[in-house]
Amino acid sequence: MSLKKQDDMDHNAWLKSQDLTAIETAFLTTLIWLDKRLRIVDYLELLETMYYRANLQMPKSHTEQYDLDNKFWYWYPLYSLGSLSIIAYLLAAVSGAMLGFYYAPSTAGAAAQGDPTAAYDSMVMIMQDVQFGFMLRSIHRWAAQFMVAAVFLHMLRVYFTGAYKEPREVNWILGVVLIALTLLFGFSGYVLPWKQLSFWAAQIGVELALATPIVGEWAAQLLFGGFTLGQATLVRMYILHVFVLPFVVTALIAIHVGIVWVQGIAEPH
Amino acid sequence: MTDDTTPMTDGGTDDEARTDGGPPATVPPDDETPTWSDRKERSQGLAQLTYQYFERSRREDEDLRAESTYVERDVLGFPTWPHETIRNLAITSFFLGMILLVASILPSHFGDPANAGSTPAIILPDWYLYWSFGLLKLSPINPDLAVLGGNIIVSNELYGLIAHGAIFGVITLVPFLNKGNARRPVEEPGWAALGVTGVILAITLAVLAIQNFFPVPLELLFSLVFMLPVAGGVITYAVLKTMREGYMYDLNRRYYMLRPPK
Repeated sequence: MSLKKQDDMDHNAWLKSQDLTAIETAFLTTLIWLDKRLRIVDYLELLETMYYRANLQMPKSHTEQYDLDNKFWYWYPLYSLGSLSIIAYLLAAVSGAMLGFYYAPSTAGAAAQGDPTAAYDSMVMIMQDVQFGFMLRSIHRWAAQFMVAAVFLHMLRVYFTGAYKEPREVNWILGVVLIALTLLFGFSGYVLPWKQLSFWAAQIGVELALATPIVGEWAAQLLFGGFTLGQATLVRMYILHVFVLPFVVTALIAIHVGIVWVQGIAEPH
Repeated sequence: MTDDTTPMTDGGTDDEARTDGGPPATVPPDDETPTWSDRKERSQGLAQLTYQYFERSRREDEDLRAESTYVERDVLGFPTWPHETIRNLAITSFFLGMILLVASILPSHFGDPANAGSTPAIILPDWYLYWSFGLLKLSPINPDLAVLGGNIIVSNELYGLIAHGAIFGVITLVPFLNKGNARRPVEEPGWAALGVTGVILAITLAVLAIQNFFPVPLELLFSLVFMLPVAGGVITYAVLKTMREGYMYDLNRRYYMLRPPK
């Protein structure tokens, strides 16, 4: 077996010989592209009939080919970064759910500008009155910090080991989306205590949104609930942080890991 | 079935008069369920193309499997239980322990309540957004046009947003720009250098975001923000190029030891 890739079945040539319409060509090209990477055929077939129980055969691994088994282990921590970010995510989810019992997303209660609001007061209450509350908030915050750090390092590991190549492009893009969502997670959580830094970080967010051409004002309305910050902003950030993002991110992580499961981990070379 | 001579009894149904949609539809028995090839032949258009391609795909799989020199055997590797599990548990507990330790010794900052009336001297997001915040401070290199009397073309905020878009765009496109089988940084010094440039740029942009904490003239800092990444990239490239020969020699030697040329 040579190292060169097999190309006995030239799907593209077959495609050309077919005399298809533009729609058909586009459809088939997409289908072939996805199938080459994710082997949809196997899963659709399993759905169609239980007859074909095609067992995928893994090619000889690079580790085997170059006899790298004995020098594999010291890469291991780099390969656990993805799993570590999930662990930190779970820890943040659990501590966040507990914080949710005490936090109130409300700007009510401030008699004058600069007075503590209900949100700020509930944070103070969590930190001073709730049993274990100070530690709970600390855990939630640091779990988030560790998650972001792990996610960034995970991306660097994938980049520098070339693990995003041929069958794994889809997962790389999914990862980019997940990083953006993680940052949005962090940002929305940063706003919730409604302290000075939260407020002015959100202010920068609004200004950025408004600076965007065409969709800017719409985005500011959608994300921040208006052009000036207030109760609407806080509630929107809260819903984003505790309802929208958890579902979206969890689902995307599941798909991300599922694809890794299907395609296998790219080995160190 | 019914005619005028037959009196209506409760044994008969007037088909024209019935409003319940008729007798139940026939469900094909199991042996009449269309087979794969039936369905393929009945389908048309895109569905048929899908069937055709999947047949080719499956045949390709079978061919490859038939040609493969792969022999099924017991896998020689690290067993999942207990070795792998214990290693994962160890790493996980260490990581969780680190979070809890840091959380207990480094309590998080908590400042004054929000005040729309007074802008604080220093506005900062969390550390992981410093690079992004730094991108918003690129106004000195926001191009202006002489014909506009030195007016900038896009607002500084929009300029920062475009920089974000460019960075995310480039990162997304990486798998489509860098193809091939190379995996190690030494095999592709250029891409490794680009990666190092990116990492250092993220750090220098973060420094730009917290420029107040650095007693360096802004001009100099601004130059460093872009010079350091390039310098880092060049050094990486040079080092990897130098290392490459040795690495490739080693890899090739291992490969030919396993598979001597015929």
